[in-house]
Amino acid sequence: MTTGELDSQLELLQGTLDLLILQTLAFGAAHGHAIARIIQQRSDEVLQVGHGSLYPALQRLLKRGLIVAEDGVSENNRKARFYRLTAKGRKKLTAETSKWERFSSAIARLLAPLPDQNS
Amino acid sequence: MTQWETRRKRLEDEMQAHIDLETQENIEAGMSPLEAREAAMRRFGNAASAGDQSREEWGGLWPERLWQDVRFALRSFRRDAGFTVVALLSLMLGIGASIALFSVVYGVLIAPYPYARPNQIWAPAVLGPRDAVRGWHWYSQREMEEIQKLPAFADVMATSVRPVLLTGGINPENFYGVFLTGGAFNFLEVKPLIGRTLQPFDIGPGGEPAPVVVLSYGFWQRFFSGDPHAIGRTITLDDVPHTIVGVMPPRFGWWTNEAFWLPLRTDLKDTSGIAVIMRLVPGVTQHAAEQQLNQLNIRLAAERPDDYPKGQLRTVMLNYMDITTASGEMADSLHLLLAAVGLLLLIACVNVANLQLARTTGRAREIAMRLAIGAGRGRLVRQLLTESVLLSVAGGILGVLFAVGATRLIVVLIPPDYVPNEARITINGWVLLFSVGVSMLTGILFGLAPALRSSRPDLVGTLKDGGGGATGSMRGRAMRSWLVVAEISLSVILLAGASLAVRGFVQVLRVDPGFQPEKVMRIDVTLAPKRYPTWQQRNVLDRNLLESIVNLPGVQAASLGNGGLPWSGWRSSFSIDGQPRIEDRKIKISLISGRYPQTLGIPLKHGREFTEAEMESGMRIALINESAARLWPAGEDPVGRSMQIDDLGRPMENPLVLAAPGIAAGVTVVGVIGDTKNDGLAEAPVPAVYLPYTVYAPPDRELAVQTAGDPLAIVNAVRLKARELDKDLAVGKPNTLDEVMGEETQQPRFNMALFSSFAALGLALAAIGIYSVISYNVTQRVQEIGVRMALGARRADILKLILLMVGRLAALGLAIGLAGSFLVERLVRFQMFAKTSFGVMPLATIVLVLAGVAVLAAWLPAVRAGNLDPVTALRHEA
Repeated sequence: MTTGELDSQLELLQGTLDLLILQTLAFGAAHGHAIARIIQQRSDEVLQVGHGSLYPALQRLLKRGLIVAEDGVSENNRKARFYRLTAKGRKKLTAETSKWERFSSAIARLLAPLPDQNS
Repeated sequence: MTQWETRRKRLEDEMQAHIDLETQENIEAGMSPLEAREAAMRRFGNAASAGDQSREEWGGLWPERLWQDVRFALRSFRRDAGFTVVALLSLMLGIGASIALFSVVYGVLIAPYPYARPNQIWAPAVLGPRDAVRGWHWYSQREMEEIQKLPAFADVMATSVRPVLLTGGINPENFYGVFLTGGAFNFLEVKPLIGRTLQPFDIGPGGEPAPVVVLSYGFWQRFFSGDPHAIGRTITLDDVPHTIVGVMPPRFGWWTNEAFWLPLRTDLKDTSGIAVIMRLVPGVTQHAAEQQLNQLNIRLAAERPDDYPKGQLRTVMLNYMDITTASGEMADSLHLLLAAVGLLLLIACVNVANLQLARTTGRAREIAMRLAIGAGRGRLVRQLLTESVLLSVAGGILGVLFAVGATRLIVVLIPPDYVPNEARITINGWVLLFSVGVSMLTGILFGLAPALRSSRPDLVGTLKDGGGGATGSMRGRAMRSWLVVAEISLSVILLAGASLAVRGFVQVLRVDPGFQPEKVMRIDVTLAPKRYPTWQQRNVLDRNLLESIVNLPGVQAASLGNGGLPWSGWRSSFSIDGQPRIEDRKIKISLISGRYPQTLGIPLKHGREFTEAEMESGMRIALINESAARLWPAGEDPVGRSMQIDDLGRPMENPLVLAAPGIAAGVTVVGVIGDTKNDGLAEAPVPAVYLPYTVYAPPDRELAVQTAGDPLAIVNAVRLKARELDKDLAVGKPNTLDEVMGEETQQPRFNMALFSSFAALGLALAAIGIYSVISYNVTQRVQEIGVRMALGARRADILKLILLMVGRLAALGLAIGLAGSFLVERLVRFQMFAKTSFGVMPLATIVLVLAGVAVLAAWLPAVRAGNLDPVTALRHEA
């Protein structure tokens, strides 16, 4: 299995995993392994998710009613649990996403290269 | 399978499926199956921890966790049996003693009464400008009527006590009958055991009481053997047959628990004092009630100035909970004992904290290992706390068992006169609640520090380390050392307190009362007043009685009178002829017969005694004690001088007491006798004057009989003589002066017994604690000792090393403890041991004993360490 350079991998910020899961599920139901896969691929292997840490997060989202779980069959014909976004989850995702965007653009503005000082 | 387990299984399956899927993908990407599986598992991370955290999200996990923790704790306790036994023993003693004492405090101070809302019952005290509260005010019936009209009071009742003669049975007997106003039982709200209580209709419209009586449980048991058919039968009280209408339960003890309650005659002209208590109208403050009552008191004082203090009046409402017989000395000693038992509990906690700490330090490697494989800190702290709380709960259960026994013992020791009749000392719900609280608290208290400390270890260091070698936690050792210091100093304080209690007791025992109580019996005799209507008739009876008793075989001397025996007599204002009058000065008065000094063994110091002829006429002569003789200027001989005893000059209020013809205030001193402790053993003698008993002829007399043998052996002979003279002459319960003196020492004895046993327990606990900690420390240093010995240290050096370490701790603990003791003594001095202070000897003994314990605790492990083979020691892994 190939991974990017160690340095370019990022630990997830606290709380962002929930948002990433919700975002992943916005495109349709998925099982745990698929969610991990998708997050990794969509972040160009930059974001490293310890697959195990997915499960506490899933339980958390289930409990808050943001997602529901249903039994299904995976691509390799195995029994699997599929997670699906609820209406509440969808609303949460929109709210959280816009919050993130405002937050990240603010950080980006703050971190934008300063007009040369000591170059 | 429970729903919980199904859910758990499904989660595990799901995660397993995840890993399988990843493995498969890896194989498809070209890895070998083994490689593929490993890579998948690496990618997944700690599956157990992920599962744990997921289940955590579900919530409601604590039963599972708790059960795990409890099982784990039980396993580890089994492994450390020695630790467990010592810890449980400490907790049992500490918690048990606290529970026992708390149940006494609860029964005696917190809930002593069966009456409804006793904390809402108030008694008034009327004070002059500078008076301290001594007791409550005695009103007359007319005054009570006025009090009832005040808007502040919702309900008012009054109690009055006087001797009532029971006749018609085998032996006439005198009782203190309790007379109550009509609404009294409704005021107190206690239901009768059988029959009914006294009601307002038991007092007729003209104020005349119906001839009915409510019996106390004790009286009912004694005279009717608990027969329920006693209701409706009659007993003869003061020559009047009274119908029994009810029996009160055993715990009802309003002013008596061996006599009976009668309706009080309403007589507005009667000026004898009644004890008035009240409940306030809801919403009225204590202050407002005091204001209203004070206004009334000022008006009443203008009408009856003799019965009120002089100067500006103050009225204070005393809460009934504060004026129990247990207030004062008993409350003080219970509070002190509670503090002592708190110290004991603290020692037990320190002990267990110490052991826990030593144990967790020993387990540092296990804990580090568990942290390393992913145990959360919170989880670990919870685990360790579970162990402590489990331990303390077990200790608490053992403590309750211990307390059951200890409480029985305390109840036996407790002086009955210092506890309300109604108090019941049992281990009840509140006490159990208290014990649960104490157990949990101690568990958290001694468990938290070790738990927090051990969850923050230097993982790598601990795992590498042999588990407590030379680099072994210095901080842990420092903390344990402090705990040893704390333990020693707490024990010093406890032992010092006990030494005070013992000294107080010994002092009371050693007091010379000024008379000889040995072989003297005291007995009350009461005649039926209506049958002896004149002073002469009563004197003839008294003289005949005394004569027949003096002539009994075995009787060496006898006297008859009122007061003069410990600790009775009353006080009157007085003045000395030829000296200016001093306000507020009182002298103690006793009525005696001629052989009084011989009967009690009080020496005649000067002058002469009374002659028979003088006795019979009630002549105006007096004996005084030495304290009274000092009222005359030095060098002046009081014999032959006169003084004015104000009470003798006043008309007698009580119609039952007949005064000698020609009685007057002036008396002439004929002799001086020795001082006696006439105001209690702990108090200095007060000036006293002794008058011929014939100056008054009350129905009651006290007989004092000095015998050659056992004084109680002649009781029957005295009863027979009394009956020969008059079959209705009531002879009361006899007691010996030794018994009376014994009662004086009850409170000090109680203090001494409890303080000493708590101190002994404290010492034992501290000894166990010090020993286990020091020996643990030495064991922890075995490796270091090995190195030292390999480098050439001799056994003596090792011994010195260890003894020095212990010596330093002991010295520090003793110093802190002594300082604390003096501080405590300062605080306590205002309370009970007013006349006691530390002696050098007891303190020195305490220091020696504790130092000895510490050295002994160090000695055995030190010798063991000194005997170590250096090679074994070096290889030693804890």
